[in-house]
Amino acid sequence: MKVTINNKQHQTQATNLCELASQLQLPQKGVAIAIDNQLKPRSSWGDTMLQEGASITIIKAACGG
Amino acid sequence: MLQFISHYTERYSYLDSIRLALEGGCRWVQLRMKDASDDEVRQVAVVAQQMCREAGATFIIDDRVELVRELHADGVHLGKNDMPIREARRILGPDFIIGGTANTFDDVVMHYEQSADYIGCGPFRFTTTKQKLSPVLGLDGYRRIVIEMRAAHIDIPVVAIGGITKDDIPAILATGITGIALSGTVLRADNPVEEMKYLINIINHE
Repeated sequence: MKVTINNKQHQTQATNLCELASQLQLPQKGVAIAIDNQLKPRSSWGDTMLQEGASITIIKAACGG
Repeated sequence: MLQFISHYTERYSYLDSIRLALEGGCRWVQLRMKDASDDEVRQVAVVAQQMCREAGATFIIDDRVELVRELHADGVHLGKNDMPIREARRILGPDFIIGGTANTFDDVVMHYEQSADYIGCGPFRFTTTKQKLSPVLGLDGYRRIVIEMRAAHIDIPVVAIGGITKDDIPAILATGITGIALSGTVLRADNPVEEMKYLINIINHE
């Protein structure tokens, strides 16, 4: 599906935030992710399903780029 | 996204302010105790970090790089007169969030090149919280910076800061700025928890 990560279009096979984090090779610590402006605790990443067109913000330098 | 910057008033301590912000649904807290000693900050930070962990909130500390490393906080925010971001990254490594304060696009570029994870950009308007004044940006300043960042392919999140009230939020987010940092406006409300809920609701619907 298509999602936006830090204002850039991305194509991803991930179905939830956990898979997305792993696909983007985000570190285990020092990352925050928001979907549609709402920050998601890491403990909820596995249960947070991605929707087509979601606007995702990742606070981690050089990720999603 | 909303970052709450801790604050105290006659009614509320630093920890009260963080507790209220978390109760109101905020999930990103910056502990800022500019004039306190490291020991004073450490005492508050240990409790604040625990509260943030329990709430699933990201917890960063202003300025104190060594304390962030010692406590394993989620990250550090560095002002213009604090340690350079490159130096903080060298000390902390990749597993910490590092944010930097920017007043101009040149500051943004400098922080980005030194590996900042996000930018706190301001001041939006004149503010009494920060004593060292930089020129106010206003909506036009944010619009310019967003355009310049996109042209330069700099894609880290930018949080607007400095004298922002709830009425400003929709217009600021419309410039393409990612999030809002708030401090005083939440605690000044009659009911800070309800105020935080209201603010988050505004931000989530922009």
